Amino acid sequence: MNEIFEINETEHGGVPVVAVTGEIDVATAPQLRDRLLAQTAAGKSTIIVDLLGVTFLDSTALGVMVGGLKRCRESGGDLRLLIVEPRILKVFEITGLTDVFSISASLDDTNGATR
Amino acid sequence: MSGAPDDSGDLIELSIPVRADLVVLARLTAATVASRAGFGVEDIEDLRLAVEELCLSLVQNNESGRLHLTYLREDDVIQISCAFEREADQHSDGVSTSDDDDLSLRILDALVDEHGRDVRDGQLCAWLRKRRARVRNDG
Repeated sequence: MNEIFEINETEHGGVPVVAVTGEIDVATAPQLRDRLLAQTAAGKSTIIVDLLGVTFLDSTALGVMVGGLKRCRESGGDLRLLIVEPRILKVFEITGLTDVFSISASLDDTNGATR
Repeated sequence: MSGAPDDSGDLIELSIPVRADLVVLARLTAATVASRAGFGVEDIEDLRLAVEELCLSLVQNNESGRLHLTYLREDDVIQISCAFEREADQHSDGVSTSDDDDLSLRILDALVDEHGRDVRDGQLCAWLRKRRARVRNDG
């Protein structure tokens, strides 16, 4: 039903980048949660979640990312987001999560600039 | 799915099992109904997310039962109701109490004109109403 959902993992300056494509909803969010948990279990305290290819996300997806952020911060790290699509950014804005996450528009901005 | 346009607007009914991979049908239907009603792209996207949250608010603690959705268009308003039908041996009341539920409520508050929950015929029901944005005419 959600044919284009995909998760790819790379690295940027030694930081894992979890790039998601497609719709993150109640059906697909558990896959993202599992990838984030695996990164934490592998000892990664800072993770970048690339949402540039995401076309839809719901509160389940937000919950997964908030959970990931808590785990990263407990380990002294951070969970940073890449977002450019206004529709996706709007979901973070209306839930007040733009004040919680470091959000950048590109990988090159993730070291310093945040929204 | 059933329904036919009449003088009082469009009524569409959808009944789906409580399964994570089927909630997408609820939002696809919402998008179709909103598009037929002349809603703009932004409002259609709002409604797609809102109906997802409506369903999630009922099913998050349940993995069985059915969701009965009703999409009613009247003039420039769409009302969507979602009733959760428990299975005979199911004891959960369908109300989620997680942090995700708080996020759901914030999303609904922001995206629709009205929303709420009540009990209808013994079934927990969540509903929303969204009015089509008026087209600005600056010329």
